[in-house]
Amino acid sequence: MDKKNENTNKKRKSFLSLLFKNLFGNRKELSIFEEEQVQSPFRTVLRTFGSNKVSMTALGIFLIIFFISMIGPLIMPIDLSFMETTQQNVAPGLDLMEFPESLNGKIADIAIGPTFSVGASTDGDVLVWGKTRISNTIDIKKMLPGDMGKVVKLAAGHDHVLALNEEGQVFSWGNDRQGQVSLPYELEFTYNIKDIIAGYQISLVLTEDGRLIHFGNTMNTDYNEFHEYQGKLDKVVATSDGILGLTFDGEVVYLGNQQNSYTNIPENMGRVVDLATTATSIAALNDEGEVFVWGNATGNQRQVPETASKIVSIKGGRTHYTAITEDGSVVAWGEDFYKQSTLPDKVKNSKIADVFTGYYQNYAITEDGEILTWGLKGYILGTDGLGRDLLGRLINGGRMSISIGAVAVIIATIIGVLVGSISGFVGGKVDMFLQRVAEIVGSLPFLPFAMILSSLIGNAMTSEQRVVLIMVILGLLSWTGLQRLVRAQVLSVREQEYVTAARAIGVKKGQIIFKHILPNVISVILVSSTLSFASSMLIEASLSYLGFGVQAPIPTWGNMLYGANDSIVIQNYWWRWVFASIVLGICVICVNLIGDGLRDAIDPRSQER
Amino acid sequence: MARYIARRVVYMVFVFFILSIILYFLFNLIPGDPVAAQLQPLMDEMTAEEYEIRYNQLRSQMGLDDPLIVRYARWVTGMLSGDLGQSHRYRRPVADVIVTPLRNTIFINIFAVAIGLAITIPLGIFCAVKRNSILDKIVQVLTIIGHSLPHFIICLIAIYYFAVIKGWFPVSGMNTPNFEGTGWELFKDTMYHLTLPLMVMTAASLAGMTRYIRAAMSDALGMDYIKTARAKGLKEKVVIFSHAWRNALLPIVTLIINWFMSIFSGSLVVERVFNLHGMGKFFIDSLNNQDYNVSIAIQMFYIIIALVGNLVTDLSYGLVDPRVRIDS
Repeated sequence: MDKKNENTNKKRKSFLSLLFKNLFGNRKELSIFEEEQVQSPFRTVLRTFGSNKVSMTALGIFLIIFFISMIGPLIMPIDLSFMETTQQNVAPGLDLMEFPESLNGKIADIAIGPTFSVGASTDGDVLVWGKTRISNTIDIKKMLPGDMGKVVKLAAGHDHVLALNEEGQVFSWGNDRQGQVSLPYELEFTYNIKDIIAGYQISLVLTEDGRLIHFGNTMNTDYNEFHEYQGKLDKVVATSDGILGLTFDGEVVYLGNQQNSYTNIPENMGRVVDLATTATSIAALNDEGEVFVWGNATGNQRQVPETASKIVSIKGGRTHYTAITEDGSVVAWGEDFYKQSTLPDKVKNSKIADVFTGYYQNYAITEDGEILTWGLKGYILGTDGLGRDLLGRLINGGRMSISIGAVAVIIATIIGVLVGSISGFVGGKVDMFLQRVAEIVGSLPFLPFAMILSSLIGNAMTSEQRVVLIMVILGLLSWTGLQRLVRAQVLSVREQEYVTAARAIGVKKGQIIFKHILPNVISVILVSSTLSFASSMLIEASLSYLGFGVQAPIPTWGNMLYGANDSIVIQNYWWRWVFASIVLGICVICVNLIGDGLRDAIDPRSQER
Repeated sequence: MARYIARRVVYMVFVFFILSIILYFLFNLIPGDPVAAQLQPLMDEMTAEEYEIRYNQLRSQMGLDDPLIVRYARWVTGMLSGDLGQSHRYRRPVADVIVTPLRNTIFINIFAVAIGLAITIPLGIFCAVKRNSILDKIVQVLTIIGHSLPHFIICLIAIYYFAVIKGWFPVSGMNTPNFEGTGWELFKDTMYHLTLPLMVMTAASLAGMTRYIRAAMSDALGMDYIKTARAKGLKEKVVIFSHAWRNALLPIVTLIINWFMSIFSGSLVVERVFNLHGMGKFFIDSLNNQDYNVSIAIQMFYIIIALVGNLVTDLSYGLVDPRVRIDS
């Protein structure tokens, strides 16, 4: 038994050392009495290349990037039409729900914004966490007012926060472009405030006697200032563009002018006790524990799960709902893109006293006061201007960039080898003609001509067709260098004895070219293709960066940088260009190093340089 | 010699015509009706019949009903006599519009090429002479990186560091907006705006050029005649500059001449990123604005430069290396 174990151990070790040997090369020192084994040229090349540590490291890094880009999209597919306005330009980090430890056990209220959260402790302190920097000038954390007394209630909108202290005073901070932070004069002598609500660019204050005070953007949200329910409102909720109220009689009313999907309030709901909203839908809970959902409910928002006991309260995020039942369990339903409706086991198994839900984050407070979280933690590499996760785009873009480079090189190599070998072998008028064609193609200025082709032909194309177009353009324009190399090689090989011998036996011309000559010039082709793979990737990136390559929404490393041509982006949203640049840079450097290493291995003379 | 040049020129003209045909046909692939575009603003003021008459009139006036080959012939003769057509965007002849960007590009690139040559040649020679020294290795690593990074990434990094963090230079533009002043003041302001683009352009071109010069120089230094020269007891300076450098020059000449030619074509990426009103940006803008008369003119200009560059390279071989006899 023991012996067996030892054996496998030994094996593993030898495998590792083999791997190491393969990766970094291990040339055995020979004593002067030994003679190096005679090897075929190809094996010699492999061995020389293997002993070049720089190139082998580059090959390793490139293979890692290659496999991540090829396998990654299968694990992390991206939805090309995806867009999320609330998640624009989020800085990298997974700290959206990393609440301060001091809050554990004494939470009074948590208000959740798109990327930040504000919490009030039972002592009345207000703490802010998450990505609080919304723009260059607006930072929820830095703008936090100093002396607010004992805060009991908080509300967070898209980019502003409201706080209510125990004396009934309202405080506000954040983005004030639409006046959502400028408290109206009326509030100075209103002390019986019951609730504060912050929506998209609007703020609402509800008094004990059922009156609603409204300030902020009046254009975006449909709100009738002279609605008939003033003095009758018990609870008010806001979607991203509408406001609904719950009267003291338990009736749900719409507080706007328009007829829309919100006014389509279900009948026979009985006595409604709680209301919650997502961005576009409303859920009402009646006193029998039944939940009704209406509005533009996307995903599974209408599919309220069955619960073992009665639901007692509901909360809404941006696209999902959470609810607590009588026996302290939590259910969540709705869209699950950020795992916001997937409850972790710990939440399922604990008795939950309260749940705070907003946007894509959830905080559950257990009966012991512990805070459990689920939902959107953040983005490892941040998001771009349309709220798309950069990590996913980087991985998917890698597949695009690498495949475009590879296909372009394959096209260029095929043309180059064909033209070069025919030109070199046949000679005469054919050679003359092919060389003139090559010269004409070669004298076309590369980047401008590729731009013209892509903008003229690609005008009416879909994004997918454009990808193919770019591959073909790059391939069709970059074969001339290789062609010249192959031709020169073929010319020198053509006169050698073995070709003459083959010809004397009567081997066909095509066979001589492809079976006898080409294998001998394959090394030149290999080096040239590797180097031109790197330059194809570079040119694709430049084209896409200038807006003439692959176009959004299909990501490539080049067009991910397209939006970065802007001092605001360069300055404030560094993650939008740094990561793609680094990966593209590393990848091309590695390919170039591999090409250099191959050249050194094939042509030992060049190593002396 | 004269015969050779004449033959080359004839050949150049031939290639030029072939390329111009290809380009002209390419541009004719574009869907779109220039007549309808021109009449668009007047459409509301005219009745349908008036519009019809006007449309046909204008169409025959512009010669759009002629066969493609006739239109090509007209276009090419116009181009050769200096008539490049009208720019749709500026409503002025292309030849007029193109002057300013061309001047700007030449102004910028003369500096870039001068600085670049002043750095790369000594650096390349130094690296070849002191091969495998630490400095050489550092330069090798840097040049590989510089060679592999796309120019726009170098631009972004430079802007981020020098313009955003340090605030030394403006982020983009060629002059301060509404700048008034002439002579020295204007020059100073322009140079202040151009420092960063020039740095980037120099850095970007440095990598490839240095590697190339180093390789050529290394090759030359490995030759037997260098050993002979050293064995004769010549000074190292003489060996390097008169024996090795002259022989290394041959492969370098191609590159240097192409570089000089790029003075006129401008850098697409750098001009775009820094918003410099040069040929490159003008070309991108014309494509984006579908101002195709401008695009085709600039593209033909690029082609002429490339062809002339090839010719000059071939001729200069004979000057640099007496062994190359170009008349044969």
